[in-house]
Amino acid sequence: MGGLEIGSKISGSAPKTGVNRGVAVLDFILRIVAIIATLASAIAMGTTNESLPFFTQFIRFRAKYNDLPTFTFFVVANSIVSAYLVLSLALSIFHILKSGAQKSRVVLIFFDTAMLALLSAGASAAAAIVYLAHKGNTRTNWFAICQQFNSFCERISGSLIGSFGGMIVFILLILTSALTLSRR
Amino acid sequence: MDSTKASGETAINMPESKSTKAKTVVYATTKATPLPQGGGWKRGVAIFDFILRICALVAALAATTTMGTTDQTLPFFTQFFQFQASYDDLPTFTFFVVANAIASGYLVLSLPFSIVGIVRPQAAGIKLLLLILDTVLVAFTTAAAASAAAIVYLAHNGNSNTNWLAICQQFNDFCQRVSGAVVASFIAAVIFIFLVVLSAVALRRH
Repeated sequence: MGGLEIGSKISGSAPKTGVNRGVAVLDFILRIVAIIATLASAIAMGTTNESLPFFTQFIRFRAKYNDLPTFTFFVVANSIVSAYLVLSLALSIFHILKSGAQKSRVVLIFFDTAMLALLSAGASAAAAIVYLAHKGNTRTNWFAICQQFNSFCERISGSLIGSFGGMIVFILLILTSALTLSRR
Repeated sequence: MDSTKASGETAINMPESKSTKAKTVVYATTKATPLPQGGGWKRGVAIFDFILRICALVAALAATTTMGTTDQTLPFFTQFFQFQASYDDLPTFTFFVVANAIASGYLVLSLPFSIVGIVRPQAAGIKLLLLILDTVLVAFTTAAAASAAAIVYLAHNGNSNTNWLAICQQFNDFCQRVSGAVVASFIAAVIFIFLVVLSAVALRRH
């Protein structure tokens, strides 16, 4: 019987699948880190509530996150991103088990990019307001409220860190998904 | 070698495998050659990518120039209000102009890479590089647009809790220009998202 032989698997594919599986596990771990970061940001911003023991005619004596609509948007955006990340853990586990999936990886990249945009929008809008709260603006006569509300200011500044960290993790997630797509 | 035709099964006489790898045996040769339709489809995606880049360049340039040329002077002045408004009065708007300028510069530099992607649809390294840089730019452009949008929202509505006054009531023309620039920047950010997804679709190997 001539040249028709049963083909065997190309011997170079086993380490490639192994690297892809390792990258998928890294993706899963990064997602968990991003969940923690964005959830911490949402909670840190959402539980702000500072009351000053005195009051004057011009300045309010209480500061909460929903006094500024931008901060409300920040909390909502971080919550949405956290919920999306929890849901996408299932898809990430699926990618660990089945390294050859391509269409689902493209779908995941699309949603990851959209969530990256949402997260960076929330984080940077809140950062603009936090900067304004710290420095004020003499041209527009906007007063720096941080001089009165110290603890509120520290809280809102610290909650930005988790959100920006989540942004970096998202960039890494998209990068690893794209790497896996191009290596097959 | 002849196969037995008495049992009615057809057999294909395959030539000896000429594969250079000692361990692998190829028994279905049609899969090894790339399909011509695959190259054509990828070329269409690359052309669409190039067109989207031009659109994003237009949007980012429009945002930069619209914000950068704001300069409104009111014909009167009072004790409390500044009578001149320009983009560098607010550091957030300065960041906006710089970020959109960087995005425009990146898009101009990435056009030749996109052309290479059209000419050679199988080049995966270039597509991967563009995808990574596009992702970073998505975050960067969205950050610039959203922070400027937060300040514009504040300028339109003010905030009674923090005693911040709505300056748009005085500076109408400045506010309109700035709002238009923010919209253009958001359009550029959305186009960047499409570029990332397009690069991901084009990276797939069949």
